[in-house]
Amino acid sequence: MSTATAPTAAGPSLGARIAASPFWLKLLAGLVLFGLWEFSVRLFAAPFVVRPSGTIAALPAALSDPALWAASWSTLSSVFVGLAASLVFGVVIGVAMGRSPAMNRVSEIWVNSFYTMPMVAVLPVLTMWFGYSEGARFAIIVFAALFSIILNVADGVRNVPREYLEVARSFRAGPRDIWFGISLFASLPYLIAGIRLAIGRALVGAVLAEIYASIPGVGFYILSNARALEQNTAMCAVLILAAFGIGMDAIMRWILRTWFPWYRREGRQ
Amino acid sequence: MNLGAGHKTGQVLLSLLAGLLIWEIAGWQFNTAFFAPLLGSDTGFSNSIAQWIAGIAGKTISEPHPGTLPKLWSLLDPAAIGAAWTSARAEGGSILTALSAAANASDLLRALASSLALFLTGLAFALTAGLALGMGMARLPWLRVALEDYILGLYATPMAALIPFILAIFGFEFWPKVLVVFLFALFPVLYNTLEGARSLKPEYLEVARAFRTGERRLWTDVIIPYTLPYAMTGLRQGVARALVGMVAAEILLNPTGIGDLLIGSERAFDMAGVLASILVVTLLGTVLMALVRLIETRFITWGAALR
Repeated sequence: MSTATAPTAAGPSLGARIAASPFWLKLLAGLVLFGLWEFSVRLFAAPFVVRPSGTIAALPAALSDPALWAASWSTLSSVFVGLAASLVFGVVIGVAMGRSPAMNRVSEIWVNSFYTMPMVAVLPVLTMWFGYSEGARFAIIVFAALFSIILNVADGVRNVPREYLEVARSFRAGPRDIWFGISLFASLPYLIAGIRLAIGRALVGAVLAEIYASIPGVGFYILSNARALEQNTAMCAVLILAAFGIGMDAIMRWILRTWFPWYRREGRQ
Repeated sequence: MNLGAGHKTGQVLLSLLAGLLIWEIAGWQFNTAFFAPLLGSDTGFSNSIAQWIAGIAGKTISEPHPGTLPKLWSLLDPAAIGAAWTSARAEGGSILTALSAAANASDLLRALASSLALFLTGLAFALTAGLALGMGMARLPWLRVALEDYILGLYATPMAALIPFILAIFGFEFWPKVLVVFLFALFPVLYNTLEGARSLKPEYLEVARAFRTGERRLWTDVIIPYTLPYAMTGLRQGVARALVGMVAAEILLNPTGIGDLLIGSERAFDMAGVLASILVVTLLGTVLMALVRLIETRFITWGAALR
């Protein structure tokens, strides 16, 4: 496919030009993917099943529907506040675990267990504690986000170059400067890797909580529309979630590229 | 040196013990629908211990406090397992039929088998599709350029949002649940294999071609060894996400397996059962992650050299 046909008088063939230009290649791939989806649904599935043309048709009505924006705001603001809370606690605990071996030995087993625990499994506990309410959703967001931030910050602080600390100490830096001025800053790429992971987990947790406990929000909006056979409208809400996820991910990668160009594949995956 | 190591292990054990003690004490403070202690006092053994401890403090325990571990033990039901095993063997069944009869007699093992079947089927499909497509993209750079943005987008999209669609279109039997697990696990595998494909230098393929390497050797000697370490990172992420998908599917489609234990206990306001189910899921996750890490360190030993 990538072998170009012989150039004619008009220049390389259309196929070769498309293959050489990423933009047209990507566009073509998108058309093929969405075309496959559209036609397989039209041929094999019931008329209510979501398909690209239906979603595009439903988009204006859905986007002008205040209910969708209210649901999105409810979910995304909760995710933001939950992430901020996890960030504060995660950084403090993570720096402590990275700086102090004793602290690390005491807490690592718990942090690791909570990190490995599939977060949906705690949903029943959280709904029993906080009720079928926004409180349960906020709790699952923090639960989903906190531990990946702790582990990444601790990894980062542990990997701070020794020279930084020695120089700091020889300039009589206090513990506060060593903890938050040097250790935290030198481990920022790890922190960002942790936040990237946390955003994804928090979004999944929020959506699952909404579906499970019927909490008003994007997940519940999707559920109620999909149940009412309005799948194309529901897909518009998925697009908002996807845009949020992709946007946040792009911001994090942009931060890494711009300010930490030496950073490659550090942090936990 | 040895003393130091023992000292450190001691700290870990002490922290573990302290945590479990806090769990036990906290469990006694709340009612049984809110929190459950680790040991509690509902069955013979844990009850006698609890009565003894309460006796030391000069108190008596009036209402039972179901504990998590006794609940786990009753879910496992070793007596029923033994009975099923001996009766199946007495009827002249083979070892395999006796094993399945024994597993079926225990609520916990039955749930675990059902969940594992779901998990492994979904993961196997995700792994096959992710590796095939990811390594295909290492071989054909144009395919990678064409698809990578879409894969990155889907990787960042919370797949949980698709569960209502799956429920409405495909229903809630075994295969729709497999689809959920598949979708949760596919994109981490695909995304990380793609990272490998992207970092595979075109020169490697060109050198191989310059030495007249055949297509088969190109795969076995260049593409697969190069992308496999990246794919293992994807597998680690994929296993974790597939577990979430497994529990989500079992809770949100029709309740089966461990999800059924979890939901059933929650509906009965039986916190001990809920905590016992969570304990099982967490242990399952820990074992599976350890298994993946073992494969990684044992067989994919060249991974660190690539980075």
